[in-house]
Amino acid sequence: MEPVRPWIGYASAAAGVTLCTLAGFAMTPRFDIVNVAMVYLVAVVVVALKFTRGAAIACALLSVLAFDIVFVPPQGVLTVNDAQYLLTFAIMLAVALVISHLTEKRQDEAQARARLAIEAETERVRSTLLASISHDLRTPLAVLAGASSTLAEGGERLAPAEREALARSLFAQARDLSEQVDKVLQMTRLETGAPKLDRDWASIAEIAASLLDRLADRLATHRVLVEIPSDLPLVRVDAVLIEQALGNLLDNAARHTPPGTVVRLRAKRDAGQLVVSVEDCGMGLGPLDRDRIFAKFERGAAEAGGRGMGLGLAICRAIVALHGGRTWAEATPGGGLTFRFSLPLEAEPPSPSEAEGP
Amino acid sequence: MSDYLATVLLVEDDTEIRRFLHAALGVEGYKVVESANARRGAIDASSHKPDLAIVDLGLPDFDGLEVIKGIREWSEMPILVLSARSREHAKLEAFDAGADDYVTKPFGIGELLARVRVALRHRARAPTGGSALRLGPCVVDLEARRTLREGREVHLTPIEYRLVGCLARHLGMVVSHRELLSEVWGPTHQADTHYLRIYLKRLRDKLEADPMRPRHFLTETGVGYRLVADE
Repeated sequence: MEPVRPWIGYASAAAGVTLCTLAGFAMTPRFDIVNVAMVYLVAVVVVALKFTRGAAIACALLSVLAFDIVFVPPQGVLTVNDAQYLLTFAIMLAVALVISHLTEKRQDEAQARARLAIEAETERVRSTLLASISHDLRTPLAVLAGASSTLAEGGERLAPAEREALARSLFAQARDLSEQVDKVLQMTRLETGAPKLDRDWASIAEIAASLLDRLADRLATHRVLVEIPSDLPLVRVDAVLIEQALGNLLDNAARHTPPGTVVRLRAKRDAGQLVVSVEDCGMGLGPLDRDRIFAKFERGAAEAGGRGMGLGLAICRAIVALHGGRTWAEATPGGGLTFRFSLPLEAEPPSPSEAEGP
Repeated sequence: MSDYLATVLLVEDDTEIRRFLHAALGVEGYKVVESANARRGAIDASSHKPDLAIVDLGLPDFDGLEVIKGIREWSEMPILVLSARSREHAKLEAFDAGADDYVTKPFGIGELLARVRVALRHRARAPTGGSALRLGPCVVDLEARRTLREGREVHLTPIEYRLVGCLARHLGMVVSHRELLSEVWGPTHQADTHYLRIYLKRLRDKLEADPMRPRHFLTETGVGYRLVADE
């Protein structure tokens, strides 16, 4: 498990043996040197547990050498002919090998378990994706096939109003379907390698205004109030992506709160950051769910059958993270949910110079 | 011959999309010339001399851009681009190549027809372009460099007039950041997008009824701006 560099194992072996030798010096006046050998054994066990097999063998070897040279009389000389200490070495080596083997086995098992967990998570995401696709994509597809074939085969027998209603529902479903597909593609793109950001100076007020025009139909059911101070600094962002992120928050608010309620879009400067928020007056969420809601394919518990695949907030979070910002949710005072994201502010470039005034 | 409102060249590889566009444009009184690929499009553009071209950027070989560049070598006809949401870069390149406006797929036909009408009206008015612009509460006379807001004079700086002038030359259509910057501040300022952010804010503060919800100086995020005037 420990992804340590191999030399750390060998260095630890050397350090451990040095430490044992010092301990041995402290012990020799009162203990038999057999007990000193036991101290070296501790070092071998520890190194074998923590590091590689090679380091453990080195530790065993160093221990025997140090023990033999420093403590076994005659001191200061290596006496290999003493069969007793060959046995000591053999035992230390055996301990080192057995423990290294067990440790490696344990590590392999842990890795295998981690791999299995990742596979299980991938499988969960895949099956949720498939479930979402089958529900959220197949339903509109069924409407498309049904409504269009009704028009094609019996169109002239329908009242004009019915015909128009069918055609309009075709249009709405097709748009919705296309948006879902865009979101799946966008999420995939954000996850598989960070896309290149096309950063440029942008005004959050402009992005908000263009977004409110683009989403006018969708937001018509709610009262959208915009509070953006006119003196906010510019941000250096990929405006297309930030518009998408903010759009997902607004769309989310309109989708999941009762028609007629207020949605507030605010932006303010806060400690070197620009903080953009979308506040709704819906049912809100418990503190635990407020973070969970940003995960892929998550939807609020109350609307398991609701539209949308639960990708909007995940995309928003991924886009903001790419810009070095943060996304979070809070309770709106008085009820509801507030989504916020922050974008780091940079020093603005020099302004164009032109004398104002006549 | 002249029963048609105008001739529209349609360069689009997908048969189904050509089918409904042809039907919708035909009903509106336009003559439609269809080209299924870029090479054909270039030939049809020079032989039919259309009043407007609709070019799909999602052609498999990516050469919708080549069609635009080819047309721009000899014609100022309005060019409308069909783009996919996932191809913002292609859209930007199309504007640099000389496109005038775009519609993102999938689009409602109403949106496309509105763009076509604006582009053709622009063509009809292009040579003179003289009259004053009516922008909500304001009237901007570009020639006299005089602006009134509810009857009261409003001061615009020379650069602001140049900016409004540049947008007005493409009234109702998109002008890219790069084009605006190089026309107003010069080619060395093509990357100074923040100039535009600052000046457009000033223009909106001076000329829009509600600067936070502009109705005339519209932002095309990531692409440029569009000036919409009252009739």
